[in-house]
Amino acid sequence: MGKIDTNWEPRIIAFLCNWCSYAGADLAGVGRMQYPANVRVIRVPCSGRISPFFILSSLQNGADGVLVSGCHPGDCHYLTGNYSARRKFALLKSQLEHIGIEKERVQFTWVSASEGGKFAEVINRVTETVRALGPAKKLVKKCL
Amino acid sequence: MDYKSIRKSEITEFLDNLIKEYVIFAPIEKDDIVLYGRIKSGNEVILDYSNSVNSPKEAVIPQLETLISCKTDKDITCVKEHLDEQEQFLLFGARPCDARSLLFLDKVFSDEECKDIYYVNRRNAVTIISLGCTLPQETCFCTTTGGGPFSTDGSDLLFIDIGDSYIVQIITEKGAELVEKLDLRKTQDDELTGMDMLIKKSRASIEPEIELDKLKDKLDRSFEGSAWEILAEKCLSCGICTYLCPACHCFDIVDEERKCEVERIRLWDSCQFPHFTMQTSGFNPRPTYKERYRQRIMHKFSYCIDNYGMVGCVGCGRCVTQCPVNLDIRQVLTSFYGK
Amino acid sequence: MTDVSSKIREEARKLLKNGEVDVIIGFEKGSIPFSATPCFVRNEADTDKLIWNEYCGNNLARYLSEVRGKAGIIAKGCDTRAIVELIKEKQIQRERISIIGVPCEGMLDRKRIMMSCQRKDKTGIEDQDGQLLTRGDSLNTAVKKDEFLYPACHVCTNRNPVMYDVLIGNTIEERKTDDFADVTEFDEKHSEERWAYITDEIGRCIRCYACRNACPLCYCKECFVDSTQPQWVGKTTEQSDTLSFHIMRSIHLAGRCIECGACERACPVLVDIRILNRKMSADVKNLFGYKTGLDIDQPAPLSIFKPDDSEEFMLDV
Ligand code: SF4
Ligand code: SF4
Ligand code: SF4
Ligand code: FES
Repeated sequence: MGKIDTNWEPRIIAFLCNWCSYAGADLAGVGRMQYPANVRVIRVPCSGRISPFFILSSLQNGADGVLVSGCHPGDCHYLTGNYSARRKFALLKSQLEHIGIEKERVQFTWVSASEGGKFAEVINRVTETVRALGPAKKLVKKCL
Repeated sequence: MDYKSIRKSEITEFLDNLIKEYVIFAPIEKDDIVLYGRIKSGNEVILDYSNSVNSPKEAVIPQLETLISCKTDKDITCVKEHLDEQEQFLLFGARPCDARSLLFLDKVFSDEECKDIYYVNRRNAVTIISLGCTLPQETCFCTTTGGGPFSTDGSDLLFIDIGDSYIVQIITEKGAELVEKLDLRKTQDDELTGMDMLIKKSRASIEPEIELDKLKDKLDRSFEGSAWEILAEKCLSCGICTYLCPACHCFDIVDEERKCEVERIRLWDSCQFPHFTMQTSGFNPRPTYKERYRQRIMHKFSYCIDNYGMVGCVGCGRCVTQCPVNLDIRQVLTSFYGK
Repeated sequence: MTDVSSKIREEARKLLKNGEVDVIIGFEKGSIPFSATPCFVRNEADTDKLIWNEYCGNNLARYLSEVRGKAGIIAKGCDTRAIVELIKEKQIQRERISIIGVPCEGMLDRKRIMMSCQRKDKTGIEDQDGQLLTRGDSLNTAVKKDEFLYPACHVCTNRNPVMYDVLIGNTIEERKTDDFADVTEFDEKHSEERWAYITDEIGRCIRCYACRNACPLCYCKECFVDSTQPQWVGKTTEQSDTLSFHIMRSIHLAGRCIECGACERACPVLVDIRILNRKMSADVKNLFGYKTGLDIDQPAPLSIFKPDDSEEFMLDV
């Protein structure tokens, strides 16, 4: 058995749509809702802006988990960005699972600007599942 | 010429003895694919093979190598040179063409005026035991490029398969020293006569096809010709021919952040890739298949003669067997000279 | 010369003679055993070079977006499916190509044939009147050709060209639909076992990009893997980089890959590339009800959506 690092905290990258989930995160903050500080937020204009490259790059460069959150179907600021994204993400997630990456490492959800509570809950859930999985080892770049 | 002999059944033990002192690279088979790679024990090695898919050049110019790395820790940046002391290693069962390719690589990387320390460091640690070819393949053309199925160029020892045993031909000092350490039996006279016949027969099966200096002359005069466009039309511009070639040696250097350090990595590159010559401005002097394929041929069969006095091809035939569109370098050469 | 070859020559000659095309893209005899090689024929006399046999495995549609002038192409089932996708993606124009369709019984794996006899007591292998015979110390043994069918050909459901101007010979019977049993079987394995298999396969990759360059649908002028600003994938052969290249390529081909297997055929170290592409094809079929390369008018699955697309994969909060 390897040494268990008791100080390890999961590192999670969250891609949040500016028009909904990012505002939802704000609301959670203003409302002083409790959620773990493991998440590094990257604000994007729309979930449709997120390329599978972003997610893979995060995993390659040391993220233990990735969260993508956009506007609920029908609410996208650009009308259809999240619908197109949904198809892409379904395939990406399925492919990662296919090759043997734990499926909980990459999560997708919809959080609106008014759902501060839901945002806090999502972060809680994602952090806890990733914590249970332990540090990501599979796609991380290693020193040569 | 000094000879010794070793029974085939003793090869595993022979390697297991050497493995204590050397890192050993040899042909191994997995799922029918024969690859040249590092072995952990003597019984992994296969010797009844034609040639490995990859070439042993990987041992002296690895596809990836970290030259330096640097790390910042509490405001202190330290740079580390990755030039560690080299373990001694042994290339076992390499074909004579591949052994010969190291002599060519020496001219590139270990020239009097300009030495690549990373290369030289590894090269000095190499001992080569090659395996003569009793059954050259249809795609072999080593005799055309100056070698032969039993060429001793570049090898320290040459193994020759005579049925139940191998005759071990001692070629260099280094080879002699290695043989000293081992307890090999004396070669019988009849074994030597048998060997001579095998060698003659094998060589006769691959007569040289082209005269190289005449070819060079033809090539030089056809640089601007229209032939190249037609020749390269089916080429895919992939990296197979260059990456598998034992003499191709072009590389790229990149800085990459990996974990929390930055590494300066040297890695193989290929003149067949469009990005190989892409300039920062966006201009590419070799924009199409034609220029890139021409470069591969001209470099090997003209510029290398000018620069190193030797062609940059040892005739192993890997690019012939592995090219996905069967763009056969032998046909390309004969289309310029011959017929 | 087979009947099919002579008919191909005849059609090619006609097209060139009538000035309908400037070049015919087909196959000629290869320089090594068990091979055929792509060739470009520009005048009537050279049409005699054209051949057809079970070693015509390359996907010639790959050349269509680059060739100058009007082209005629000798195309088997998968080649025509690639043509359909290329037209749909506006890489080629239907009016500028003439398709000589050839029904295909499956192509044989040259490398596996050669490898099967390079060791053990065998000294060679020959094709004698359509039968493969290995030569060895002992007796000659006959090998079933079917054993060397490319994996993609085993599950192909479109052996007849799906689009053509002339068809050589008669159509052949198609297999029943592809149920992706291989994908299901693989996915039933434990995730660690899947990971071990995939990393072992991809671990051999030398990043020569022959897979990408042989693929008819990998026509991007600048591939993501070559991009330096931003650099998406590192250039090394370290596992993380190589794997990312292959994952991204499969995603980029999802809903576009026509499963010809040209990528795998080109690979010098026989990486099982289809393991990734097959998965995407299965998903595209199961999630979006789409099969590639059949219908020019059907929009690509990743260019459209349905409001009620499955959200099963999403976090349930
Ligand atoms: S000659 Fe063959 S192996 Fe070389 S780049 Fe062209 S297609 Fe690839
Ligand atoms: S990815 Fe492979 S199987 Fe799919 S279209 Fe491209 S070459 Fe054919
Ligand atoms: S053809 Fe094979 S070795 Fe070359 S890049 Fe593709 S998978 Fe890797
Ligand atoms: S604007 Fe939020 S998902 Fe498109």
